[in-house]
Amino acid sequence: MIGGLFIYNHKGEVLISRVYRDDIGRNAVDAFRVNVIHARQQVRSPVTNIARTSFFHIKRSNIWLAAVTKQNVNAAMVFEFLHKMTDVMAAYFGKVTEENIKNNFVLIYEILDEILDFGYPQNTDTGILKTFITQQGVKSQSKEETSQITSQVTGQIGWRREGIKYRRNELFLDVLESVNLLMSPQGQVLSAHVAGRIVMKSYLSGMPECKFGINDKVLMESKGGKSGQDDTRGGGYVKNTSGSSSTKTSIAIDDCQFHQCVKLSKFETEHSISFIPPDGEFELMRYRTTKDISLPFRTIPLVREVGRQKMEVKVVVKSNFKPSLLAQKVEVRIPTPLNTSGVQVICMKGKAKYKASENAIVWKIKRMGGMKECQLSAEIELLNTNDKRKWTRPPISMNFEVPFAPSGFKVRYLKVFEPKLNYSDHDVIKWVRYIGRSGLYETRC
Amino acid sequence: MPTVKGDGMRGLAVFISDIRNCKSKEAEIKRINKELANIRSKFKGDKTLDGYQKKKYVCKLLFIFLLGHDIDFGHMEAVNLLSSNRYTEKQIGYLFISVLIGANNDLMKLVIQAIRNDLAGRNPIHITLALQCVANIGSREMAEGLSVDIPKLLVSGDTIDSVKQSAALTLLRLLRSSPDSIPMGEWMSRIIHLLNDQHMGVVTAAASLIENLVKKNPEEYKGCVSLAVSRLSRIVTSSYTDLQDYTYYFVPAPWLSVKLLRLLQNYPPPEDPAVKTRLSECLETILNKAQEPPKSKKVQHSNAKNAVLFEAINLIIHMDSDPNLLVRACNQLGQFLQHRETNLRYLALESMCLLATSEFSHEAVKKHQETVITALKTERDVSVRQRAVDLLYAMCDRTNAEEIVGEMLEYLESADYSIREEMVLKVAILAEKYAVDYTWYVDVILNLIRIAGDYVSEEVWYRVIQIVINRDDVQGYAAKTVFEALQAPACHENMVKVGGYILGEFGNLIAGDPRSGSAVQFQLLHSKYHLCSPATRGLLLSAYIKFINLFPEIKHIIQDVLRSDNNMRNADVELQQRSIEYLQLSSITTADVLATVLEEMPPFPERESSILAKLKKKKPSSVPEGSEQKETTASKIPAVQMSNNVDIAPPTSINLMSQGESSTDDFVDQGSPQGGSASVDLLGLGSPTQPTAPSVGSGGLLDMFDTLTSHSSAPATNGIDLGGLSGGAEEAFRKFICKNNGVLFENDLLQIGVKSEYREDLGRLWVFYGNKTTFQLNAFLVDVSTPGNLSETGLSIQQKPVGGEVEAGAQVKQQFNMACVQEFAEAPVMTIQFLYSGAQQKISLKLPVVLNKYITPAEMDANTFFTRWKALNSPSQECQQIIKATSPIDHEQVKAKLIGFSVSVLEKVDPNAENFVSAGILYTRNQQVGILLRLEPNKQAQMYRLTVRASRDKVAKILCDLMQTQL
Repeated sequence: MIGGLFIYNHKGEVLISRVYRDDIGRNAVDAFRVNVIHARQQVRSPVTNIARTSFFHIKRSNIWLAAVTKQNVNAAMVFEFLHKMTDVMAAYFGKVTEENIKNNFVLIYEILDEILDFGYPQNTDTGILKTFITQQGVKSQSKEETSQITSQVTGQIGWRREGIKYRRNELFLDVLESVNLLMSPQGQVLSAHVAGRIVMKSYLSGMPECKFGINDKVLMESKGGKSGQDDTRGGGYVKNTSGSSSTKTSIAIDDCQFHQCVKLSKFETEHSISFIPPDGEFELMRYRTTKDISLPFRTIPLVREVGRQKMEVKVVVKSNFKPSLLAQKVEVRIPTPLNTSGVQVICMKGKAKYKASENAIVWKIKRMGGMKECQLSAEIELLNTNDKRKWTRPPISMNFEVPFAPSGFKVRYLKVFEPKLNYSDHDVIKWVRYIGRSGLYETRC
Repeated sequence: MPTVKGDGMRGLAVFISDIRNCKSKEAEIKRINKELANIRSKFKGDKTLDGYQKKKYVCKLLFIFLLGHDIDFGHMEAVNLLSSNRYTEKQIGYLFISVLIGANNDLMKLVIQAIRNDLAGRNPIHITLALQCVANIGSREMAEGLSVDIPKLLVSGDTIDSVKQSAALTLLRLLRSSPDSIPMGEWMSRIIHLLNDQHMGVVTAAASLIENLVKKNPEEYKGCVSLAVSRLSRIVTSSYTDLQDYTYYFVPAPWLSVKLLRLLQNYPPPEDPAVKTRLSECLETILNKAQEPPKSKKVQHSNAKNAVLFEAINLIIHMDSDPNLLVRACNQLGQFLQHRETNLRYLALESMCLLATSEFSHEAVKKHQETVITALKTERDVSVRQRAVDLLYAMCDRTNAEEIVGEMLEYLESADYSIREEMVLKVAILAEKYAVDYTWYVDVILNLIRIAGDYVSEEVWYRVIQIVINRDDVQGYAAKTVFEALQAPACHENMVKVGGYILGEFGNLIAGDPRSGSAVQFQLLHSKYHLCSPATRGLLLSAYIKFINLFPEIKHIIQDVLRSDNNMRNADVELQQRSIEYLQLSSITTADVLATVLEEMPPFPERESSILAKLKKKKPSSVPEGSEQKETTASKIPAVQMSNNVDIAPPTSINLMSQGESSTDDFVDQGSPQGGSASVDLLGLGSPTQPTAPSVGSGGLLDMFDTLTSHSSAPATNGIDLGGLSGGAEEAFRKFICKNNGVLFENDLLQIGVKSEYREDLGRLWVFYGNKTTFQLNAFLVDVSTPGNLSETGLSIQQKPVGGEVEAGAQVKQQFNMACVQEFAEAPVMTIQFLYSGAQQKISLKLPVVLNKYITPAEMDANTFFTRWKALNSPSQECQQIIKATSPIDHEQVKAKLIGFSVSVLEKVDPNAENFVSAGILYTRNQQVGILLRLEPNKQAQMYRLTVRASRDKVAKILCDLMQTQL
């Protein structure tokens, strides 16, 4: 189990240090600093063993979080915990920065007391934590409230308290996908996959039970004819904003994972996703697909080396989705050789600039409609060097945001049942939004 | 240095502070990328940059490089800066070049040209900058390019002192890195006069340079001795106020003094009496000064003073001629032995170790025995204790041996683990060398095994057995002592080995006493049997079979033991075989046969002590040369000296100790020894008293060492000559025509020994490379090439790879397998290359493989010989030569040479007894060639007539040429 937890700033100064077990001494703090932080990025493994002690670390901007143990723990569990912890901190005070950590150190120690007990991870749900760890100073609680908190934390549904009331029952679903691509210069897809998340914000009264339907192949097939009726009923409320090719009805999900509120037993037996949602925002599901991905953009590079002193680059970007949709924040990054001494760029659309500090030409287009084409051409002047190594030509990368799910993922229905209070599925206002973003979206040139 | 105002390079300062303010590594890289792009565009730009800007950007590049980023441009701009006349620009240019431009850069030619221009200029500051750059890079190309300019600076009259100083040091650097690319010129003769320079700095720098030159070629610079002595005497006699700037904590010019003293150690004591007296006076003054009360309490003062003193003592030891000085040095060191400072005690012990080997001061050193022993016991630092052990070993002679050995034995019990093994060896050697009384020797060694059994190497207990066997008078005592020692409840396995062997041989000598009767002895040995390793058990089984011969009355008990499942069905094949064979031997043969077979061991042949060889092998430096010489003189005194030279190679005639080689077959048809390996002759019925000469494995290796040391006077060359064969190689090669083992080559760095075996057309050659230095030899490469047509006709050579490094003092073995395909005339050439402290060394040698090695002697009677002789009558089959004898003709010597040439010497074939007649068969892969040889000496004319006839053309000629070199 986790023996201790340390937070460092980028210089390796300790901001937070909490030791849970006796086998971890203060010297562990220094060991990590000396061997990992001060190693100036020589250490690339997230797990480091120093003197029979294991250090698991993650880095958030300039902040290092390290969990320390002498035992043989489940490394995946430790990392899951570390990520959860940054989520919790972010939920309490926004961005995890040195400044924020210093300002909220009392709160962080309080949280650490709660989410880890003798090194064993406890409830890390922000909603619940917020009920008893508040930022408004100590609030004297009545006996009822205390017993309620106790029963709730120790009860069956630890992530939702009873007696929540809303005048307007409302829920928001965000389907967030990131597309990863590696393409050859000839336009052949070398590898592509989509990592998706479904984030839900619920403002529902009582203890509602929700049923969630998606166009996953396995779930659709197992439901068979029976689901047809559900489809028509749910379909009316779900706004279908997907703009990608909607000819196919189901997609193949490679793997997925759910929030703890989803009843896995029901998923196993009945292939249905049913849950009692926590109040507020949470991540309902994560999934990954690798088949039939509709790629929003294609990059066509053309590089010509004119002698040893000059190089000509031409890049064409094509958007490949419905003309009615608009992509935003499109950015193309074209690497330049290390001995570049000057660059002239011409582009029809957007702005392009040579950024010497990053050794790349950065081309930004604010908005771009579907089925369009843009072109950039650049002349790069080179300086003769005595280094005979050839330029390795790193790939051209892209960033963008599109309003549809490139994997073809669709929400079919989301039904809410609340047997005790008298509001029905029809009374709940539901919003669905699809956002596709670029992950590592690269084309070799 | 003149810094112009406004020359501060603000851009650089801003850039550096930007970098320092970067919060993260990424930010730093971004900033650097931006700056690099900026500099690239500036360098690329068409408008020319002025010197200031160039300097600024080159400076920035240098800073970026020092941060750990690669810089692949800007070199040209840096080189341009060299031609500037401003100090700062030149300085930055040189700095960039010495940091960034490697030795094999294309720009080096330009750089060298720029340096040459600067050296030829009048501005001393520019010259110094250029020299500094040369010293920093020190590449071969520079050495070649500037080999004229720098010496010129050094000896020219109008260069100022500080430039001369730099020039001397730069030249030294070039000499060190590429010694062969500096041509010798007339400056060489003038350089020693720099020792007379007015300026102390120049003298100090020149002293280092001259010492390096002297090391290479002492004869050429002989003149420096008197100059150095006079300079030294001037320093020594001056008071500390005289040499204002060169006085260090009241010691006048300590560095220069040390350098001069070192320089003098390269030469024998000066012959000119005036110089000699002056030098003695100097040394005396130094010794006197050591007695004066210190002028300062600062540690620097005493360090400087003692450094000079120790170097002076080293010189005294080196000259080894003035007894008075030696004794005084010894007394001075004696004082240091009790000094507070550990380093001083260490140095004192170390120097004394050298003093002890000098005949003049040996007695003086002995006075400090008590102190040294106390040091051994009380010193905290193990390295100091180690020196104390070395010193005790060096100062030991017959008078104090007993005491020193006693003290060392006593100390051994508490000694540090790291020095135990060496101490054990040293005790064993001292005990052996100075033993007046063998009982004492046996006691010491048994004590040694008792106290530090784990550290007693095989050689030590082999040795005690050899000595006991060779000396009749100690055998009884030895048997009694081991018997007593074995009675201890827990004794070391080595003790059991010694006990088993000695009781097996001489148990009968103490059997008269009922307390140590035969049965008691056997029970005692057998009680240890089950605790021992298989090797020891094998030895004990052999002891048992010897008991059967010695004590027939306990035969049945022993047979029971041999018959037990534990032995006869032992998983270890060797033990099983021994049990069965010994059981059969004891039950089948008659008492007579048994008595012959199990006769007492014959005395061992006399050889150099194997232990000494082992100690030398372990630490070539720790055995002072002198002690060996003393040993040899001592061994001339026959009276009490016990057989000092017995080899460990167990005599194979009745080799009960040998493991794993005996075979059942031999046993069954006993008495008919099969050819080949000597150890097959297990029972020794064939020739019970004749020890087999060639010892294989470790014995041979030790033998090698023996010859290596005896050849230390062999011609030593530097081994750096390129091209042809290394010095002395041809001569050494010739020795090998009639010899299979010995030293092929030796110089200051390397000893190369060779050992070879031939059978018919196959040969195996081991080459031993011994590193004589205290450094590792790197990139050790051996390459064998066959000259000319040899490769297509004669030999096929297979070479086992040899490791890339040879550790200090270590020996590396390499094996060659060579098959003779056809006759050949030229021997293959072996090229050895290695790096010794950075310098490439190359040695070329002829491998001693000659045609006659593949000859096997043949016996025949007179009739057969002459029939065959007549049959080989065609002119191409015969070769005759008349040879002038180089040494007086001696029948036995010639005979030995012929046998060494691997042909037989046939007696009573030629009617004239003075003539030699020989025959042999030359085996090649394709055919066998009969060889007949006649050698007719003519004593009056000091001539030989040599006639060789062979059944194949050309062979006769080749053999005739080979034989000719030997007569």
